[in-house]
Amino acid sequence: MIKQVTEETLENGKRYWKSLDDLACKPSFKNWVEREFPEGASMLEGVQRRGFMKLMAASFGLAGLGMTGCRRPEHTILPYGKSPEELIPGVPNYYATSMPSAQGHTPLIVESHEGRPTKIEGNPSYIPNGGGTSIYAQASVLDLYDPDRSKSSLKRSNENEDSWDVISSDQVKEDLVNLMKEGKVAILAEKSSSTARKALSELLIEKGVIWTEHEAIDLTSPEYKLGNAIGTDSGLRLIPNLGKASRVLSLDCDFLGNREPFSLANTRALMKGRKVLSAKDAKKMNRLYSVESDLTITGGVADHRLRLESSQFIAFTNLLAAEIFTIRKSGSKAEITRLQERGNVLKTHAKWIRECAVDLCSKHKSSVILPGGHLPAEVHLLCYAINQALGCIGRTVQYQVTDKPASNLLSLQQAIGKDNVKTLIFLGGNPVHNASSLDWGNLSDKISNKIHLGDSVNETTSICDYHIGQSHYLESWDEGETWDGTGIVPVQPLLAPLFETMADLELLQLLLGSSQNTHDFVKSLQEKRSSTDSYEDFLRLGVEKQIPTYYSKEIPLSELSKYKEQIPKPPTLDNLEVLLIPDFHAWDGRYANNGWMQECPDPISKLTWDNALLISPALAKTLEEKYPSLGLIPEPTMLNKNGEIAPDAANFDHGKQKAPIVTLSISENQTIEGPLYVQPGLADCSIIATLGLGRTEVGRVGNGTGYNAYPLLGNNFDRIVSNVSIEPTGEFETLANVQEHWSMEGRAIVREGNAEEYISDEAFASHMGAESHSPKIWGKDQEADLKFKAQTTPRGNSSYEHPDHNYEKSETPGLHQWGMAIDLNQCTGCSACVVACQSENNIPIVGKDQVLRGREMHWIRLDRYFSSTARDGAELPSDVQVSFQGVACMHCETAPCETVCPVNATVHDEEGLNAMAYNRCVGTRYCANNCPYKVRRFNFFDWNKRQTDELYKGPLGKKNDPLPDMGKNPDVTVRMRGVMEKCTYCVQRIQESKIQVKVKAQRNALLSTGKDGADIELSNEDIKVPDGTIKTACQQVCPSDSISFGDLSDPESEVSKLKNNPRDYSVLGYLNTRPRTTFLAKVRNPNHSMPDFASSPHAAREYHDKAHPTHHEEGDHDNHAKEGEKH
Amino acid sequence: MRNLFPRWVNTIPVKVILSLGIIGGTVTAGITYYATPKYTRVGYQPTQPVSYDHSFHAGQLGLDCRYCHHGVDKSSHANIPSANVCMSCHKNIKADSPLLAPIRDSYFGEDENKDGKLSEGEDLNDDGILNEGPSVPWVRIHKAPDYVYFNHAIHVNRGVSCVECHGRIDQMEVVHHDKPLSMAFCLECHRNPEKSLRPMNEVTNLAWSIASKEEEDSHITQFHAGLDIKNKWGVNPPLSCTGCHR
Repeated sequence: MIKQVTEETLENGKRYWKSLDDLACKPSFKNWVEREFPEGASMLEGVQRRGFMKLMAASFGLAGLGMTGCRRPEHTILPYGKSPEELIPGVPNYYATSMPSAQGHTPLIVESHEGRPTKIEGNPSYIPNGGGTSIYAQASVLDLYDPDRSKSSLKRSNENEDSWDVISSDQVKEDLVNLMKEGKVAILAEKSSSTARKALSELLIEKGVIWTEHEAIDLTSPEYKLGNAIGTDSGLRLIPNLGKASRVLSLDCDFLGNREPFSLANTRALMKGRKVLSAKDAKKMNRLYSVESDLTITGGVADHRLRLESSQFIAFTNLLAAEIFTIRKSGSKAEITRLQERGNVLKTHAKWIRECAVDLCSKHKSSVILPGGHLPAEVHLLCYAINQALGCIGRTVQYQVTDKPASNLLSLQQAIGKDNVKTLIFLGGNPVHNASSLDWGNLSDKISNKIHLGDSVNETTSICDYHIGQSHYLESWDEGETWDGTGIVPVQPLLAPLFETMADLELLQLLLGSSQNTHDFVKSLQEKRSSTDSYEDFLRLGVEKQIPTYYSKEIPLSELSKYKEQIPKPPTLDNLEVLLIPDFHAWDGRYANNGWMQECPDPISKLTWDNALLISPALAKTLEEKYPSLGLIPEPTMLNKNGEIAPDAANFDHGKQKAPIVTLSISENQTIEGPLYVQPGLADCSIIATLGLGRTEVGRVGNGTGYNAYPLLGNNFDRIVSNVSIEPTGEFETLANVQEHWSMEGRAIVREGNAEEYISDEAFASHMGAESHSPKIWGKDQEADLKFKAQTTPRGNSSYEHPDHNYEKSETPGLHQWGMAIDLNQCTGCSACVVACQSENNIPIVGKDQVLRGREMHWIRLDRYFSSTARDGAELPSDVQVSFQGVACMHCETAPCETVCPVNATVHDEEGLNAMAYNRCVGTRYCANNCPYKVRRFNFFDWNKRQTDELYKGPLGKKNDPLPDMGKNPDVTVRMRGVMEKCTYCVQRIQESKIQVKVKAQRNALLSTGKDGADIELSNEDIKVPDGTIKTACQQVCPSDSISFGDLSDPESEVSKLKNNPRDYSVLGYLNTRPRTTFLAKVRNPNHSMPDFASSPHAAREYHDKAHPTHHEEGDHDNHAKEGEKH
Repeated sequence: MRNLFPRWVNTIPVKVILSLGIIGGTVTAGITYYATPKYTRVGYQPTQPVSYDHSFHAGQLGLDCRYCHHGVDKSSHANIPSANVCMSCHKNIKADSPLLAPIRDSYFGEDENKDGKLSEGEDLNDDGILNEGPSVPWVRIHKAPDYVYFNHAIHVNRGVSCVECHGRIDQMEVVHHDKPLSMAFCLECHRNPEKSLRPMNEVTNLAWSIASKEEEDSHITQFHAGLDIKNKWGVNPPLSCTGCHR
């Protein structure tokens, strides 16, 4: 076996792989793949089977004696004394609110069951987001029920410095009023787009309070960089309007991901322009160029991607500007020559830049250039000039005029230095942790009262002597602006504060000495603003329109000549650069204690519970030569002369590669330690470090996760750090990476084609995969319509009759036939669906240790594949294409899991759902074994009941804090130990909709006849759920509408139409599982003239090379297609 | 060593098998009888904190079920009424009865004067939350297991009467568990809904039974009428797992 694989590897060069180990065909990996389940996943750790039986024998004996529970325990039902209006027990209520953040408030609709918020959805009234939400908004409901939240206010005890006394909220109020009377109050607030807070802060400034704001990763900073460069006092915020764009160039700008604001609207608008349902759409499809140092999800979507270190973007933009000004004939010759000189270092990329510029100019007025927020002011000014030259300002991009910036940390430092501060209030945030370049010890000695308002005790609390618990946004009143300034949205509480906590507005009101409560205050603001709409209407709709002012003044190109300082030298492999980015899991650290975020795999690296220092394969190779003991790159499996497997230098532990820990340092004080992780697609000399993990004062979830990169962030909060040296510590760490799991190698799993291919052959996807060679799956019924196929399950070529899923007494084959279509072309990989599913379906968190054993429970697995150009030998590729594929239970019509269940716990229902009856399951795990998609998850432990570090103690393990249980969805069973689970197509939503439709039809008919109801006639149409009524949780959250769900027996439903699209294909279709979830092939739109153009996506070329190893020429898929038809 | 075992030993296997069969049969029969809801649940009649008499309110006075259990046709739960529902009558009727003390306490909460008439703002406390006392701890009688998602609204609106699962509540002085509510019980009706379907207006009329012609068995009349309703309304109760288990 191994020998065979070796030959194959050497001959063809495998080009489609999921991880470095996979690529290298490590023996451990091969072994791993063959095992089917990860090591340890099927073993009872630490207890031998025999020992287990011995132990259990005693329990079996005792079980017979304990016949005590014959009667069930007495339950009580506790109704209200006075029932609140509009509350019917069992019927959820929905309220419009919004999630406050410095990146603009996100409009939301929140579901509440008997007063407990359980699920967050986007508010579709806000058009740019269209009902989508970010992954952080999805996860924020868990923060409300975080057992480590502040539950009261605390004051440092007088006797003992290290202990805290709980104080009442009345005492807090009194103390605050007294401190305000003493004067010399300063406030350091985290940034916010709250208009209510802004109004209060202005009043406080009038009263002489020093108001400062700080954010470590400040997404508003680019607007002030640009404003300064152009010479206005205010900020100029770039608002892309990608719906109108046909060419987009991103300069280190992850505008679809978590690094930039407005990413939801950007995703929605950009992906809409990439939706192709016919050849006509493909001609109009937009094209994305991405130049970046990190591999982001934006780079994953890009049609052309260039790797470039972040410090080189000044040179890049200058060169690009020179090209565009030349083509657009704006600017003098001297100007252009000067720009060319400034960009001279990047001459090697001249062709790429030129062709890109030509393409951008060919679609001027509908092209746009987006600079990353961390890039210097020169780049932002240049981009303004380029966008102006392209004539796209006012069309594909707007520059919104924003307010002057608030005073920052520097002015606070000065005020403290001048002894103007006696009381300092930290209003949220965690500056002691994320502004660690300041000498907080020294500063705090000069202030007598330090107060921290925060949602939990954190690093900043440690220098304070007063901590006030902050209310969650679902417990407070507020209002704020969306990022693009077109909407004002309310923050409306869904419940009274669970604990004795205070909202930031309440605290500010106290300081102002106002007795008005926050509700009345926010209401007064709204009433002042709008005379026509009532406050109730504002709360009901959740959005109020507002018209921002835009800046569109022409700037003379001579402005650009003011930048004369030297262009930073390109980093080299000995003189590296570090780019600091917000962590996917914790952002700047604020979600560090959120278990859903910690366990959700990073979209690209697929790391959970950890961050790593990402390095390029080129850098890894250099390091490996310098320090051979690192074991960074696993070697391909080779046989030595004796036919034995040659030893590998990489370090492995239980089949997991250990990551070497290294020290990065700029100076003696500024060093960090973290594990290295080799990530293809990075710029050669960039190291990517993430800010936010590695916190020291954090709750039980975030404790001990990752490393802290904040020490590298200097006084100016510049996230590009140069002149970094790297030194191994000699220690290793195992990273919980989910990417090696369930490898599906060398098959047409993700099918891709170029737009041109698609235009010439819309059904290119059906010529791929083994089923294109096999006899037709449906036999003579191959061409039958979906309705027929779904309702009757024709036998096809099978020698067996398919089971009849209609029940003995049922007369119809199911009114609906559910199915799902996932458009791979719309998916960016943002992972919001993973957390939305977790929130909707009560999916537990398992912890790092269990993820390492491959026992993560997510129902949606977002597979990420890399593919590269032709490659031979073991060299790791640097230029890769990324493909994402969300895989959940496919609800196969002829499901392999159903036939092997010994107790009929998983069976088909008449509407085509693959049902899972938890109460029947005995946990043989045979179904998971037989599932070709590997989408079934087993409850190895009582994840919901026991603490993650006490799992192995079984029933003796400590129970979980019950607080998070309040956020569970009451319509979904909380699974116990020993049962299998998997995607249900959100069956609770299906059943609820079916019931609602029937109830409504029945009542309407009764009302219209006015008789006793026995003579009502209802047709099937009356009791069928209309298309679009049911949205699965993953579908509802998706900002780019890549998932559609509905009734296959209705030829007019959206899902039926998509499934009839020629791009539609089934994964592993040749197995004749007939999955109800099918995928629409991905279409890329590359530019012919680009130097990195390839006539077919790498993924497709790899498939064709493998399917036809004899002829390697490009474009052989046409022959292949014909061949497929012949069969 | 030829006749080491006496002859009767030959019968041992038969005897063992027989006795095992008898023991097995007895245990199975015992469990089937004693450990199923028919035995363990039917007849459960706990003492309630307030001795509410259904036979008086629903039977004699003729209050409709939905007066108190108002969520039954809208929600999955048939809610237990909150104290304000009781008080809508008992503010005036038997306003001082000591038997109703738990209801009054739950309703008034910290309202000092307990005059039964709330002036404006009196029913809200300082935080703007409704003023109420401790809930009345009604003891739960009918309970489906956690993994069963029974929905009242769909049953009540599609012509399945309360009486089918709860019995003649209108004749019970103290409510007891009347039907087994086991999975077999549910499926029995889901397989043959025509035996239980009735016109929508008669759903909460527990005493209703179909008027049958003299010579015809009422079961047969019901069967035909039910079948007619079933066909007209398109009633097709789910028989698969997903109908009730999610």
